[in-house]
Amino acid sequence: MITALLIGLVVLGGSAGDVFITKGMKQLGEISTLNAKQLFAIFGRARTNRYFLIGVAFMAVSYFSFLGALRLADLSLVLPATSISFVITTVGARLFLKEVISPMRWAGILLVCIGVALISIPSQP
Amino acid sequence: MKTAVVLITAIVAQALGDVCLTKGMKAISSLEAANVGSSETFSQVAHIALQALQSPMVWVGTLLLIVFFALFSAALSWADLSFVLPATAFGYVLNVAAGNYFLGESVSNRRWLGAAIITLGVLFVSRSGERTIETAPEELGAPGVLE
Repeated sequence: MITALLIGLVVLGGSAGDVFITKGMKQLGEISTLNAKQLFAIFGRARTNRYFLIGVAFMAVSYFSFLGALRLADLSLVLPATSISFVITTVGARLFLKEVISPMRWAGILLVCIGVALISIPSQP
Repeated sequence: MKTAVVLITAIVAQALGDVCLTKGMKAISSLEAANVGSSETFSQVAHIALQALQSPMVWVGTLLLIVFFALFSAALSWADLSFVLPATAFGYVLNVAAGNYFLGESVSNRRWLGAAIITLGVLFVSRSGERTIETAPEELGAPGVLE
């Protein structure tokens, strides 16, 4: 039960983190420079962008839940279970970022989700 | 084009970073196993952390993962999250290949199948266009956003 809760936190934390970081980056404006000074200035603004920081905090929640889940369950359960986050993040991007997900993109995302689950189940000894 | 270059660089940095971290941490843990045995105590964890800080491989790996995160965030400043995230999943494929090539890990048929399915999925996603929403109009150096 606690394991399921922690895996839920891993997935939701990661997805919320990605959505907030995207919102923050979109607010900073499109990065279209390779000038080191300008890039450093963008980094400075990202560091003080509220959405970006909330995103990083959610990432931390996700990471520590992952470590916690690994203390209770095997990596062979936790890692494939988190592959669902590709779908959850996409739902978040649609709801909160108003991204348009075409059927082609949905198909690709579902394939990625299945593939990642297959890869992360460890081989039987 | 910009998106492709940034994301491919990000993915390669991530895969190399993972290989470096694995190499570095495996070297440390095999030393540890020889010294103390495998039970996990606090002082042992602290000892491993200290050794990790002294390992060049761990530093290079960590730096490469920071490069990955910077490029990933940069791509999100113009491209859709629902495009960038599945596209970076191609990193799993590179990780399987790099683990096989650089670390001599054996890869089961099921994992190769997973890698093939991810590749197909990433191809689908890359055909779906990278941007369906607009970035905020404030461009570089726009006033008003802090500092």
